[in-house]
Amino acid sequence: MPIVEKSLVEVERTETLEVDGIDVSGDWNTFLKSRVSSDLDARILDWVKGEPQGETISRCWQCGTCTAGCCMHTDYGLTDFNPRYFIYLAQIGYEEELRKYATTIWRCVSCNKCVERCPKGVKVEEVVHRIGSYLTATGAAPESPADRFDRAYTKNLLRRGVLDEAELFREYERLEGRKTPTRELLRMAWTLLKSGRLHTGPLAHRTRGWSRMRSVLEAQLAEDDRAHAPRSRGPPAGGPR
Amino acid sequence: MNPILVLGGGPAGLSAAGELAAIGAPTLLVERESYLGGNPVRWQYSLLAPDLHPAEDVMGPLLRRVEGSASIERRLGTTLVSAERSAKGYRVGLKNADTVETREVSAVILATGFDHFDSRRKFEYGYGRYPDVLDFKEVEKMLHEDRIVRPSDGQPPKRIAWILCVGSRDVQVGNPWCCRMGCVVSIKQAVEVRQKHPEIDAYVYYMDIRTYGLWEDLYWKSMQDHGVKFIRGRIGQVTLAEGGSRLLATGEDTILSRPTEVPFDMIILASGMEPSAGTRDVASLFGLPVGPEGFLTPRESDLNPVDSGIPGLFLAGAATGPKAIPDAVTEGMGAALRAYQYARD
Repeated sequence: MPIVEKSLVEVERTETLEVDGIDVSGDWNTFLKSRVSSDLDARILDWVKGEPQGETISRCWQCGTCTAGCCMHTDYGLTDFNPRYFIYLAQIGYEEELRKYATTIWRCVSCNKCVERCPKGVKVEEVVHRIGSYLTATGAAPESPADRFDRAYTKNLLRRGVLDEAELFREYERLEGRKTPTRELLRMAWTLLKSGRLHTGPLAHRTRGWSRMRSVLEAQLAEDDRAHAPRSRGPPAGGPR
Repeated sequence: MNPILVLGGGPAGLSAAGELAAIGAPTLLVERESYLGGNPVRWQYSLLAPDLHPAEDVMGPLLRRVEGSASIERRLGTTLVSAERSAKGYRVGLKNADTVETREVSAVILATGFDHFDSRRKFEYGYGRYPDVLDFKEVEKMLHEDRIVRPSDGQPPKRIAWILCVGSRDVQVGNPWCCRMGCVVSIKQAVEVRQKHPEIDAYVYYMDIRTYGLWEDLYWKSMQDHGVKFIRGRIGQVTLAEGGSRLLATGEDTILSRPTEVPFDMIILASGMEPSAGTRDVASLFGLPVGPEGFLTPRESDLNPVDSGIPGLFLAGAATGPKAIPDAVTEGMGAALRAYQYARD
């Protein structure tokens, strides 16, 4: 809908018209983005319920007992962290709104007060984490350095069954675009070598019979990835129980 | 003993007549329609809430007991047109087609029941205009026949909404009372749909969920076991969406504090319960007190819920207010006992 007074509306809700990089909309031609919730995606709830962690979500009837006692929401004062609300958005399938909380949702400190108090036995703490996993899996949350490190770690470990710290460090530097000064690297290498812990390159340790173990692990990881991928073709993974 | 008149052949009337027959009292059962069974038979109710028993399993025995009894005289397609006090009971005029017959009866049980609210009166929901907006009494028949399709194109729906409190709790249509049954029956329907067709998404728009007492169990199960979704907020209007192929329900999601416009393939209205035409007729014929809602009012609703306060006149079932079938059956039993005591003394 068109609006006449731009200054009264949050900037992120306005739609402007640009010609050659110049905003020509002015005060009279600015349009307001609709905030009407217009479509609901039932597959979100199916996905959340698809693992035991999220199963109890359907019990929730929105009383707000969880949020009332939530140490993040109430004590810490992060009112954007509202477990009751996250559950509702996932229940009705309002993805657009849910995505706004893709990072906030991970602020839970797992005190489990909500689980203790819920009159319907919703495992709120688990369910909220499961909803967070949905957001991460769908790419709603930006990948963090920790996520990248986790992937590099797994890849490194799978290679020989033993961690190669020096290689992991190099990979981490590459992923994050960091550059440690050569002097510092040499100092670290010397210290590791002296203490007999520089197992890299030709000195790397190996695990006996690792290739067979690795093929089993890789097959399992690939299966897990398929099972956890939301929006795959066909019915949602896990499905409602 | 002159017969005891039971007016109305729904669950309460059938129960009363059956009990009277069982204690050997002569009974005259009068029904306005051409069949017995009342609303459950008329609309072919499917499963009954909250236990999901088929309606036939409840109505069947009630009907068979009455139809198999020699001491129950049945008059179908018959209405009461006059009633006056006689020595002991009443002298009543019964009209069938064009003939009026006068009978002496020793007592009268009024089991004249309710009518479903006519959802056309809630015009903003488009009932009667959009073929895919249905009244939940019509959906009972669909469920009974297991044929859940959109009337507009015969296609199975992908997403259905139930709107609660249509013609109930609403001063605009003059019905401020709660129909008691809308929540549990809508939830029952959603469960029935999800059991038979798990691929259909079911959303219930509610202001409050009043599945009181032990009915709560069905409400919980509908969420946990059947994935029925509940959205708090009352739909303000239903319009057409997507070139007229779907329905658009506009309302406020009061948990989000945000307007909501969701397309649905089918919308089902939980229409309320009103005093039936028969209930209104008998109230004026006998000069019975009625409450502000138009239902008959027992003199003492707590101590004597089946006594009208007028000698020889007893009340049972939904004529005194929205009621579930088991309550109507129980009141039929109570009214039979009270009427028999009155007729005998």
